[in-house]
Amino acid sequence: MFSNILKKDLSRRTFLKSTAATALSAGLPSIALAAGEPIKIGFLAPLTGATAAWGAPGLSGCEIWAEKVNAAGGIKIGDNSHMIEFVSYDNEYDPAKARTGATKLIREDGVKFVMMLGGDTWPGVQPVADRTGMLFSTLLPSDLSPETTTLLAPTEVHPIYLVTGVQWLAENKPELKTAVMCAQDDALGLPSVATYLAAFEAAGIEMQDEPLLFDPATTDFAPIVTRLLSTSPDIVCLDTCYSDYVHPICEQLFQQGYKGQIISATADFYDQLIAKTSKEFMEGFIFQFPDFDDPALNGDNINFDDANGFYEEYNKRFPGQWGAVSWEYAAIMQLWKAGAEKAGSVEPDAVLAAMKDDGKGKHAFGDADWWGTEMFGIDNALVGDWPVVVIENGKAVIKGFKSIPAWYEQHGDLLIKHMSAYDQMWNQRG
Amino acid sequence: MRNFVIWVALAIALIVLPNLVSFSQQEVLVFLTINILVVASYRLLTLTGEWSLGHVVIMGVGAYASALVTKELGLWVPLGIIVGGLASALIALALSVPLFRMKGFYFLIGSFAAGEIIRLLWKRFRDPFGGAKGIKGIDPMPDFSIGIYQFDFFEPVSYFYFSAVVVALCLWILWRIEKSPVGLTFHAVHWQDKLAQASGVNLRRYRTMAFVIASGFAGIAGALLAHYIGTINPNSFDVEVMVFVLTWAIVGGTGTFYGPILGCVVLTILNEIVLRELGLEQTRPLIYGLILILSILFMPNGLESIVQKVTRRKDAK
Amino acid sequence: MFELLAQTSLNAIYAASYISLVAVGLVLIFGVMGVINFAHGELFMAGSYVVVALYADRMVPFFVAVAAGLIFVGLLGLLMERALFRPLRDNPLGGLVASIGFLMVLQALAVLGFGVRMEHIPPVTQDVIRFADKISIPVARVYVIVTAFVMLSALWYFLKRTRFGWALRASAQDPEAAALQGISVTQTAMIAMFIGAGFAGMAGALTAPLISINPHMGHSVIITAFIVIIVGGVGSLEGAVLASVVYAFVHTFVTTFFDGVLADITGLALMLIVLIVKPTGLFGSADRA
Repeated sequence: MFSNILKKDLSRRTFLKSTAATALSAGLPSIALAAGEPIKIGFLAPLTGATAAWGAPGLSGCEIWAEKVNAAGGIKIGDNSHMIEFVSYDNEYDPAKARTGATKLIREDGVKFVMMLGGDTWPGVQPVADRTGMLFSTLLPSDLSPETTTLLAPTEVHPIYLVTGVQWLAENKPELKTAVMCAQDDALGLPSVATYLAAFEAAGIEMQDEPLLFDPATTDFAPIVTRLLSTSPDIVCLDTCYSDYVHPICEQLFQQGYKGQIISATADFYDQLIAKTSKEFMEGFIFQFPDFDDPALNGDNINFDDANGFYEEYNKRFPGQWGAVSWEYAAIMQLWKAGAEKAGSVEPDAVLAAMKDDGKGKHAFGDADWWGTEMFGIDNALVGDWPVVVIENGKAVIKGFKSIPAWYEQHGDLLIKHMSAYDQMWNQRG
Repeated sequence: MRNFVIWVALAIALIVLPNLVSFSQQEVLVFLTINILVVASYRLLTLTGEWSLGHVVIMGVGAYASALVTKELGLWVPLGIIVGGLASALIALALSVPLFRMKGFYFLIGSFAAGEIIRLLWKRFRDPFGGAKGIKGIDPMPDFSIGIYQFDFFEPVSYFYFSAVVVALCLWILWRIEKSPVGLTFHAVHWQDKLAQASGVNLRRYRTMAFVIASGFAGIAGALLAHYIGTINPNSFDVEVMVFVLTWAIVGGTGTFYGPILGCVVLTILNEIVLRELGLEQTRPLIYGLILILSILFMPNGLESIVQKVTRRKDAK
Repeated sequence: MFELLAQTSLNAIYAASYISLVAVGLVLIFGVMGVINFAHGELFMAGSYVVVALYADRMVPFFVAVAAGLIFVGLLGLLMERALFRPLRDNPLGGLVASIGFLMVLQALAVLGFGVRMEHIPPVTQDVIRFADKISIPVARVYVIVTAFVMLSALWYFLKRTRFGWALRASAQDPEAAALQGISVTQTAMIAMFIGAGFAGMAGALTAPLISINPHMGHSVIITAFIVIIVGGVGSLEGAVLASVVYAFVHTFVTTFFDGVLADITGLALMLIVLIVKPTGLFGSADRA
């Protein structure tokens, strides 16, 4: 009886090792794809519950992307072409369920790459990543640490890109000198607060008041807006508020008579924001997430294939649902596809090596550097240019791409100072 | 003798079980084992007639305490788990002072408020609780070998064996408590509130005792969870998780010791394995909600009542 | 400073008015049926979605949509009474679990019907009543305040001056004695559920253009309502209204002068203190505990 168990356990142990070491393939049976076999990609994000808006729309975006790639013949690995297939697991934004999901995707479904939202769920998955050597991606680079060698933050280097908006603001509207800020008190809000503080300090913009934190369950924003406006600032900064906060806050700013500048990480559904306030009120609103029908995304510097077509298709299927989540997972897939084709393999470490080869990567918004040793303890974040988007005449317009590494070179110490004050440096996090 | 055979058979079944299921089902099995302790300890409190909405937060207290003493003070993990249980029991003792001024609905909501305050404190004090992101990189149970079996606690099978032994031990203690004179008094406190008081039983003392013991075991469950997944945060212990514990207990039925455990097992398998396998991933909340409604309407006394019917029929024959 | 105090007070009055609509409904249901309606926040959510479906998507006039919200959610309440609470009348815990099940179903239906992301409602009016440079209140918020005042007054009249109201109060106080008096428990339960749910639905419908609407919005509403009815005393409608005002002022002022997270902690602490000092709430009696 016991010897059986022991044997069974041993055989599974061998299996584990073989998964981790396939690319070395030192005499172990190769798990290379057979010709025509589809490549499975794991999608491990919240699909139900209060966080579903950060997962479900991304899965839809990925499916649109996969249909396009598959129609064009799939992914070419060596001499064979393979179709892409997504396998999803709803982790309900729970670390335990994420761990279960990662196990299922890797050990049972045989996926070659797993995309996650990250955040609370990543630390639950990390042991699985360590043991299996599976390649993961996250939307939240604050998950990165020196131990996370197979985790990439290849699209959204939140919150570092926020400095570009402030930089553009300071260059183009130098008369605006004072700011206030509000943010939800959570894992996304706090590092973002620190980043904006650094960016404002670098730009010589003075904070009128401590950043005002509110609980994520807040529904009535009138008291918060009243407080923000009590110091008559030139700039109101909405930090990385989710659209559920951005909309009522803007509506209140409008109702309480604010007429100054607003800067925010996102402005999802900004057409509705205009409907709730006015075209004049929203004119000049600065944020960081473009519509993908923007002509600036047809430039040669952009690495997201046919951004305009993707946007059109997404809006056709899900009218009025476009947001940052819609394209980010698809952009990660694009990067992965390039890495796999370059490596001539779909095995995690081969793709990882090919992606990070020469320290450069093809970020959606232009060629970028693998970066982050100071901020995250590991250079697994892909950082380059990021667009500054401004609402002009009721439409989001990319006003330019600004380099994040260039800003960091000059003002990195400020960022580290503010991040440390909010306990957000990698070596301060748990 | 007959009992002995049954227990041995059960032990063998538990040893074999994880080897018969898939990898992800092994993971579910670990969480299920821990949740069985949560729901069984919850029942001890309900014996006195009080229903708490703070049980999961108290479980979180054990998780945080064990995570912190092992991580910051380098305490050996098994000792940390015991510290976790003690911490939960202590917090429960402190909370019992205000909470047991209340009864019934007021206690239900009061316990909820107390729990929410604890959760907000975890969020508010980034040092040492880690704020909204919680604590990660919690020390795993150290691996060891017992000659014939190599425990590797990354592996769900190993952790299942470990937690099953701990949980079985806890369940046995809970069962002994329930059958002891103290446990019988818990029942009396519930059913004959006034009478028990008249006969000189200090109701509040017994309620407090049940609350503290139940919380201690919940703390152990929380610590078991923390050292397996390696991360905890305030959201892991929010009211939505509590709602699941509550529904396991009530759908299973709280009249018997095994009722809540049965509820936990059946509903977890349904939600985490059956519905997912059927490809109903995104409609799970809808189906789960319907199942709750139907089961409470058509089995008002819980799943245990069906078991009782079946066994009674057998006895009659 | 005066401006800030005045503006914050206006903010608090608005918050008090919609919270009291929700809390009064919850108290009424608990008082008459003896069951904790966990799905009350989702009834609020359902009211908001009625406005999404009628006013935003089908151009129905706003106040017609609000009335439809009241009636539709009131009917949902009747459905809950008939299908869930009546068969479980002697089983309050069963009622609790059934309402949790109902909550999950409502959330899931909202996701299926409208998607996980937030919904949008065009503003009903953008007019603002401006008292001074920094003291103003949007007319859309005045609608909420006025409607809440009218509806709560109507409810008060109904309960104190009509035979139905008398029956309702009687069975809330002592169901058995009321039954002996020839009052139909079923009938009063239906009335209480319709009004209780309808008020939550109306609050959701009225505030729909002012808040973010998503399938999980009910969660924060129910937590606030629980705090309020505990502070007010579970059986007491007057207590619920008064506690809504107290809570709204405390929460709003702490948010404005300190921060929102501290405001939540203060709200919960307020409730715990009330529970410790007077375990049946400010206006509650011990009988219904």
